[in-house]
Amino acid sequence: MKNFKNLSVALAGATACLSGVANVSAAETLDKNDFGNWDIKSAILFYNESDRVQAIEPVITATKQIDTDEFLSFKLVVDSLTGASASGAVPSTEAQTFSTPSGNDSYTTPANETPLDPTFFDTRYALSASWVKPISRFTKLTLGSNFSNEFDYLSLSSSALLAHDINNRNTTLSIGVSAAFDTIDTVGGIPVAFGRQLPEGQEQPRQGEEDDKAVIDVVLGVTQVLSKDSLLVFNYSFSQADGYLTDPYKVISVVDAASAKPIETLYENRPDNRTKHAVYTQYKRNFSGNILDASYRYSTDDFGIDSNTVDLRFKYRLNEQSFLKPHIRFYSQSEADFYTPFFVDGSQPLANNSSSFATADYRLGEFTSTTIGLEYGRDNVRRPWSVALEYYVQSGDEPDNTFGQLANQELYPDVDAVMLRINFDY
Amino acid sequence: MASPCEVLIDTFDETLAKQLTSIAAEEAWRIENKFSRYNNSNIIHHIHTAQGEPVEVDDEFCELLNFADQCYKLSDGLFDITSGILREIWKFDGSSNIPSRKQAKAYLKRIGWDEVRWQAPFLTLPKGMEIDLGGFGKEYAVDSAAKNVADQSSAAFLINFGGDIYANKPPKEQDSWRIGLEKNDALGKANSILELASGAVATSGDTRRYLEKSGIRFPHVLNPKTAWPVMRAPSSVTVVADNCTSAGFLATMAMLKGKHADEFLAAQNVRYSLQT
Repeated sequence: MKNFKNLSVALAGATACLSGVANVSAAETLDKNDFGNWDIKSAILFYNESDRVQAIEPVITATKQIDTDEFLSFKLVVDSLTGASASGAVPSTEAQTFSTPSGNDSYTTPANETPLDPTFFDTRYALSASWVKPISRFTKLTLGSNFSNEFDYLSLSSSALLAHDINNRNTTLSIGVSAAFDTIDTVGGIPVAFGRQLPEGQEQPRQGEEDDKAVIDVVLGVTQVLSKDSLLVFNYSFSQADGYLTDPYKVISVVDAASAKPIETLYENRPDNRTKHAVYTQYKRNFSGNILDASYRYSTDDFGIDSNTVDLRFKYRLNEQSFLKPHIRFYSQSEADFYTPFFVDGSQPLANNSSSFATADYRLGEFTSTTIGLEYGRDNVRRPWSVALEYYVQSGDEPDNTFGQLANQELYPDVDAVMLRINFDY
Repeated sequence: MASPCEVLIDTFDETLAKQLTSIAAEEAWRIENKFSRYNNSNIIHHIHTAQGEPVEVDDEFCELLNFADQCYKLSDGLFDITSGILREIWKFDGSSNIPSRKQAKAYLKRIGWDEVRWQAPFLTLPKGMEIDLGGFGKEYAVDSAAKNVADQSSAAFLINFGGDIYANKPPKEQDSWRIGLEKNDALGKANSILELASGAVATSGDTRRYLEKSGIRFPHVLNPKTAWPVMRAPSSVTVVADNCTSAGFLATMAMLKGKHADEFLAAQNVRYSLQT
């Protein structure tokens, strides 16, 4: 294989000396970013967990090319959640009554059913902006900022990503840093660690109105073009979160040491820092218009959660203007070191013992999940659109230390969800 | 320019369309008249008849000669504006008139940009040598016409001088211009579609110009170092670049690289299409 020099720089210099020559960027085929016009894309996601959360999430993205290789974009996301979410408490052979997070109301879970907090509703607005600017011929800087607000949560973040092309632009090295600062203004106030949930109307154990956390993320990446039709991405990322990492709405049941019937409900408590490392690799290949996109991610953190994600997509071209894209994703994670589905009475930490950690949140337990989906879309047309339908199922093993009435209960029920996503470009 | 030329303009204004078309046409004729070697009163004729004496050229010509000088250096001597003289022995008319190796060799001493004294604005051409801007003249005319049209209107347009193309932006209501690439064996029938939002396209190849003898096709790209066609070159190369002059240079360079055309183009980070 002969090694040819890339003449683009020299040639651009040579033609720049020709004053009679018109010049315009030879934009990629479907790059619609005509100077001066906003390129608007929209998407709407419908999410439905059986018997639990429903969500509708419209997204609008607007991108404007302000110069060759310089882009400004804004994105608005509105999340509207309603429904019920597992509180962390265990089911019982008798109906159980819990106080709502505000402490001013209560709800009753029927016998032998997983306690779901039905007050789960929220609307989140997120606005983000990013600015991509070339800072030299081979280096591109992306600056971003994000603002997101829910009635009990506020998040602000900024990021910077530097990408540098080398090796005739066949290799891109990148480094990114982002910092986020979040404020949690819990309904009813921040619960005391392992404080006991009291009946409605009584004063719940609280330790203040709000708390906050800060998260720093660093990403190092290499993207390598392998051939005309394939590329490989490799990323390492590091994340450090400090501050209030507990979910103020999650609880843990204390069960009787003989009958395993729940006797009280405690607020959970998590460590106030979390360090995460992850590696990610992605391979993309174009088989004459059909595109394979395969990725794998491994993540480990000092909560003790190790996870593996395999994601496969194949964009199959039906004709010049339409495609089908099947998608399958496998995910598995180990449980957090302090995950416990319940406390046996006598083993629970004392209230206010913030140096002990425990959670019964199923999202921190050991589980595997599978997502399968199919997308149909029209592209290479004036107004591209696509529709994707996905099915998600998550299942975890039942804990092996159950006894008494818990031995007959389902402590880790499967969660499944259906998602419908519609994308539309203007 | 001895080939069909067209200007496409995205407008409902007929007067504007006619005006822009004549701007492009006038520029094409201006360049043709100024630089054609078939004109007996232009600067090229003057240089060819100067008998080894220096000739002063104007600013535009200076720029073009500087560009030719750069091309010569970038191509290690493969792109040489003094090689046009080879047309005397190589007439790419589809016939089988192949010169002898001896005939070709005799021409080598009349070729070589490094033999020319170029000290702007004076060009001194040794006796018996010629210069020919045909290697990028048509592409330059496309760029220059595009510049003049763009100075007059913001409408989307596409200029096509015999397959050398420049588009400033896509037509309204469309993502891109759709350009049919000709197939070797069925001239005039679109073989594949190239979508061009903006930028320039140039093609080099023998879809129209070649010689053929004993089943061997001699492409019209000649190596100035051997005075012989570059054998095993692709039959045609199409390159997309920011301007037509660059696209044309890369397409010609690819042809000059013969069987290595694909590797050469792959290293250039441009969109291209290659027919073997």
